[in-house]
Amino acid sequence: MEKIIVCIKGVPKPGTVKVDPETHTLKRESMELILNPNDRPALEMAIRLKEKYGAEITVISMGPSNIIPLLKQAYALGIDQMILLSDRAFAGADTLATSYVLARAIEKLSPFSIVLMGLKSIDGETAQVPSETAGLLGLPSLINIKELKKEDDKWIAIRENEYGEEEIEVESSLLASVSPQAFDYLRPPSLKRLIEVKEKEPLIWTASDIQAEPEKLGLKGSPTQVVDVFEKKLEMKGTILEGEPQELVEKFIEVLKEKEIIKI
Amino acid sequence: MIEKIKLEDLKKENILAFGEIYQGKLHPSSLEILTPLKEIAEKLDKSLILVCLADSLESIHDLESLKKSLADEVWFIFHSKLRDFKDDLYARVFIEIIKSTNPYGVFFPATLIGVSIAPRIAGVLNLGLCAHVNALEIENNQIIMARPTYGENIIAKLTSKTIPVMATISIGAFSPKTSEKTPVFKEVIFPENFSWESALKVRSFRSSKKKPSRLSTAKVVVAGGRGLKNKENFQKLFELAEILKAEVGATRPVCYEGWVEEERMIGVSGVTVKPKVYIGFGISGALQHTAGMENSEFIIAINTDKEAPLVKMAHLSLIGDAKKILDLLLKKLKR
Ligand SMILES: Cc1cc2nc3c(=O)[nH]c(=O)nc-3n(C[C@H](O)[C@H](O)[C@H](O)COP(=O)(O)OP(=O)(O)OC[C@H]3O[C@@H](n4cnc5c(N)ncnc54)[C@H](O)[C@@H]3O)c2cc1C
Ligand SMILES: Cc1cc2nc3c(=O)[nH]c(=O)nc-3n(C[C@H](O)[C@H](O)[C@H](O)COP(=O)(O)OP(=O)(O)OC[C@H]3O[C@@H](n4cnc5c(N)ncnc54)[C@H](O)[C@@H]3O)c2cc1C
Repeated sequence: MEKIIVCIKGVPKPGTVKVDPETHTLKRESMELILNPNDRPALEMAIRLKEKYGAEITVISMGPSNIIPLLKQAYALGIDQMILLSDRAFAGADTLATSYVLARAIEKLSPFSIVLMGLKSIDGETAQVPSETAGLLGLPSLINIKELKKEDDKWIAIRENEYGEEEIEVESSLLASVSPQAFDYLRPPSLKRLIEVKEKEPLIWTASDIQAEPEKLGLKGSPTQVVDVFEKKLEMKGTILEGEPQELVEKFIEVLKEKEIIKI
Repeated sequence: MIEKIKLEDLKKENILAFGEIYQGKLHPSSLEILTPLKEIAEKLDKSLILVCLADSLESIHDLESLKKSLADEVWFIFHSKLRDFKDDLYARVFIEIIKSTNPYGVFFPATLIGVSIAPRIAGVLNLGLCAHVNALEIENNQIIMARPTYGENIIAKLTSKTIPVMATISIGAFSPKTSEKTPVFKEVIFPENFSWESALKVRSFRSSKKKPSRLSTAKVVVAGGRGLKNKENFQKLFELAEILKAEVGATRPVCYEGWVEEERMIGVSGVTVKPKVYIGFGISGALQHTAGMENSEFIIAINTDKEAPLVKMAHLSLIGDAKKILDLLLKKLKR
């Protein structure tokens, strides 16, 4: 049977991210975690492949234990196995150190036929983890695919880029990120599975479980470093008008005429 | 005529930039990224090299713009197998060049192709990679890169501990410039034993049906944010756009809400605009948004909050309800 691996990320719910004005660090307490919305299409694609070809889906996520509910959400959609990659040594990882942990875990799960990810997270938003993980694994990669199907032993993917759509044939196993626009319909969680998952817990893999080299992990294993975080100063440069909407709109129209956007 | 040169004889320790050529067309962002890189290269006393992969010289349509580019040299790698973009092969070609020329920096436009190969290279070579940077500077002989981060107006400055320093550069963050001095064109000859094989085979290509967005080149942009409250109000921007011959833009949350297609998003995750007049209804002016419109010639903000960052940045701000002002404006203009 095919094995499909899906990587998902927990991200702060938009609007709950607060920056401490003094220390310029993120206030983690106020953050509410959600499943990265761009990972939903990857889960949907995996489940459709499972329905079509029969497969076992494993979902992996690197992060602290508060992402366990997100793994369970994925389970309720129809995946089979949940693995949390969690270790204090993983903290502070940039994309390289994140990709390294994912690559080690994926290797441990081999043989597999497909690894799917989201195009990008909505917090770090680098879109780097998929190809970087593939680079570490020496696996072919495609980013932003809309469709994936089998033809004999080959995988056929539709990839969308700035120019159009390419149909691409791949003979081996493959790592791909899925376009956020891939599907018009994303299935809701199944009630039965929601109940089932209450009894289930994900496997937890630490650094030693994936035989990771300590110097490649977390902050220590991250070549990119934030050296400064600062607020962009805005100087007041324009005119600020207050008053009745009627007056404001008159002034508005005057300016549009001045700028020759509308004719007199 | 272009000079042929063996891979091992190429100049070393340069700043390399990826020149994205797709079906013979040079992506404009490849020229944009040369603008900041030229300054960096001069300060560090390095040469700036644009590296282009294609199937042949004849297949490239934009040789003229390459001749006027800021690069000191343009290196071409030609091979029939490079006709289609293949992530693994393109990355391997770049890795060969990096291994044999020891560059100080390697930069890519943050196009989908750039974001496909730069991380592959970083993964294979274990290098740091900064994403979507929109400013670069030199401090103590080190390249410092900046990108907006979460939070309203917070910018993070990043460095990379590994050499070459690698980054992808936001599309539209810099304007392309031309140079009087024509770069030296070189065709790089790869070793006999280099394998041009790929695990990927491009079977067919279908040009996108979607019209390329005219937003990025629009003379007038009317944009809306959450302050417009709902989709119905947002849709009225299209009426205004028609009257003003403008294009409609949006902030990220309203695209995610489904008020309008994501193609209309302005900012770091969307399009960069440089219109004569930008009008923002109910937009707070978070840095991720303003990074995509701050070079507009004249900015008008409509907001209930006098303290909103966009109000502070605007040339003219109207303090009031966005919907009311939009309705009134439409009424008057239609008359
Ligand atoms: C504002 C900001 C700027 C940053 N800039 C940089 C930078 O320039 N360079 C850099 O190297 N790092 C950077 N980082 C760190 C980076 O965001 C983290 O390393 C993060 O762990 C992974 O990157 P991403 O969120 O950008 O993922 P993306 O590459 O955008 O995510 C794509 C997909 O990868 C998978 N994925 C990502 N993370 C995980 C995970 N933890 N577990 C399972 N699957 C996952 C998901 O399927 C996801 O949809 C930045 C972080 C922040 C907050
Ligand atoms: C990694 C990352 C990337 C991002 N990329 C982008 C991007 O590319 N583009 C983008 O736009 N955003 C982006 N964002 C989101 C960005 O940070 C802001 O959250 C977003 O721009 C805010 O949108 P807004 O102005 O519509 O909403 P809000 O910030 O909620 O602002 C609404 C504004 O409307 C005003 N208002 C309220 N009621 C009224 C009324 N009745 N009349 C008039 N005004 C009113 C309020 O005072 C406020 O100023 C990104 C965020 C992250 C973390």
